[in-house]
Amino acid sequence: MNGAHFVVKALQQQGVKQVFGYPGGAIMPVYDALYDCGVDHLLCRHEQGAAMAAIGYARSTGGVGVCIATSGPGATNLITGLADALLDSVPIVAITGQVASPLIGTDAFQEVDVLGMSLSCTKHSFMVQRAEDLGSVIAQAFEVARSGRPGPVLVDIPKDIQLAAIEHACITHEVSEPNSPELTDITAARELLSQAKKPLLYVGGGVTLAHAEAELRDFLAKTKMPSMTTLKGIGTIAPDQYAFLGMVGMHGTKAANFAVQEADLLVVAGARFDDRVTGKLDEFAVNAKVIHLDIDAAELGKLRKADVAIAADLKQVLPQLAMPLDIDDWQQHTIAMRQEYHWRYDHPGEAIYAPLLLKQLSDMAPKNTVVACDVGQHQMWVAQHIEFDSPRDHLSSSGLGTMGFGVPAAVGAQVARPHDTVIAVSGDGSFMMNVQELGTIKRRKLPVKILLIDNQRLGMVRQWQQLFFEGRYSETILTDNPDFVALAAAFDIPGETIVVKEQVQPALERMLNSKGAYILHVAISEEENVWPLVPPGAANDKMMEEC
Amino acid sequence: MLHHLTVTAQHSPELLERVLRVMRHRGFSVQTMQMNLDSELQQVELQVALESERAIALLTAQLSKLIGVTSVAVSERAVEPKLAVV
Repeated sequence: MNGAHFVVKALQQQGVKQVFGYPGGAIMPVYDALYDCGVDHLLCRHEQGAAMAAIGYARSTGGVGVCIATSGPGATNLITGLADALLDSVPIVAITGQVASPLIGTDAFQEVDVLGMSLSCTKHSFMVQRAEDLGSVIAQAFEVARSGRPGPVLVDIPKDIQLAAIEHACITHEVSEPNSPELTDITAARELLSQAKKPLLYVGGGVTLAHAEAELRDFLAKTKMPSMTTLKGIGTIAPDQYAFLGMVGMHGTKAANFAVQEADLLVVAGARFDDRVTGKLDEFAVNAKVIHLDIDAAELGKLRKADVAIAADLKQVLPQLAMPLDIDDWQQHTIAMRQEYHWRYDHPGEAIYAPLLLKQLSDMAPKNTVVACDVGQHQMWVAQHIEFDSPRDHLSSSGLGTMGFGVPAAVGAQVARPHDTVIAVSGDGSFMMNVQELGTIKRRKLPVKILLIDNQRLGMVRQWQQLFFEGRYSETILTDNPDFVALAAAFDIPGETIVVKEQVQPALERMLNSKGAYILHVAISEEENVWPLVPPGAANDKMMEEC
Repeated sequence: MLHHLTVTAQHSPELLERVLRVMRHRGFSVQTMQMNLDSELQQVELQVALESERAIALLTAQLSKLIGVTSVAVSERAVEPKLAVV
């Protein structure tokens, strides 16, 4: 057995059945070992696509995603995916080939210091220096990726180590236990809860990362506390949950943004006071005390001082804080706000209105449908107008905001969940960022649906240019887009273009009923903006709305 | 404001880069630094003086997360290294 075979064996020992990648010179021994080992490898058409497919796989299942690339450009192409996984705390393991050990530092062909490059975009990274360390390094990589606050881990393996003979090596690593909450902190938090008249639950992606969705829903059932989520928290709380106010922040609901300014206690579960959530930080929830719950101690007090900060596993903490609260007036007030500020879909004219289109999709899509977004206006419309029963059904590049995320993430989700409907909702700007992954869809005959919302603009940038840069539309006009339906057809993906409202319903039916991949290209007006909008530097209750 | 930190960690070739990158990125500027390596124990001790207007707790929390870092201690002034200078 050589090192490369041992790598594959170590992956199998971690339960890996699916990897995404792209071969090249310095990783060829690993690809030789993959050839007949039983681990399924999906060839993506760019290493960034492989990384994002691994993210889609991980996020839609709760497992660890794996991607593989060669040295040099293969490794550098992974970097954006690693950064995306870091910002969204996604457990992925990236394996890169490296030039042979004696050539490292000689500027050899396809040599780049990927370990150095990885320092700022991974949770941790390794360069394997001895073949006998391969087993323990890979075991440790998986443990680091999935433990505590999850994140991406890179393992760089020089080619000579992949080729080295290995007689016996250990594939073990000690597993760390999560922190347990301190009793005094729990007591202090319960006291704050019992004193609060206007408590509000602020839910982030950390709840899902902790696999604590059931505990959170039980907490809500007991406290009947009004609640809101971040972009990554969408789906954690059932849309019809009592006093659920939707997403908070820059494009959040009016009910959530007003309620957070009125609250006297914020219970923050697995969230981090991101600037897109808080608006002007000094004016965010100014009347509220804070109970901050997160497994990552570095998030506690980073941006907002907590009155009670608990660094522990949410699965353990939430049940200890679940208690009935006497907050009837506040509940009724927030429910009234939810009703008063509900979304409206009455839109004049024949042109397709994207929020209504997505509401129709939400109503028509089968249960357990996964939606993988790209980044921009359509991403916010998805967050606002599609209802999710599970956070694993909503894949959105939240922290890094990576255009090009949608299609490869949908590929990863479709591979992971072959029996569920998977829809990539994209914009005409984002779609072109990783359009080569249509080749991956074709290769595996994946039934991924693509809903391409096309305003012939880089829409979100255009919106900001209109609102904040005096309508100077610098480099955001894309009237020279290709014929997207013809482009998809070149990859054997059928589809159609629609331009008016009455076409929407039957076209969505055709897309959802198609057996294989499908592209529904939707032309919308460039004048449609995302509302409401908390402008930069403003408090959350200073929302701009459509005139 | 000047902060004095003592960081101990398991040695790895990139350890110093890893620690210094976090210090820079989180808004702390290194003023003085001494690194001692116990090659038998493969343990590193870093004595660092850092300038920043930010609270030192923001940095210690980030450094403590790094894989291989075993302790991060803040002191009011520079302290004598525990590991012998090699």
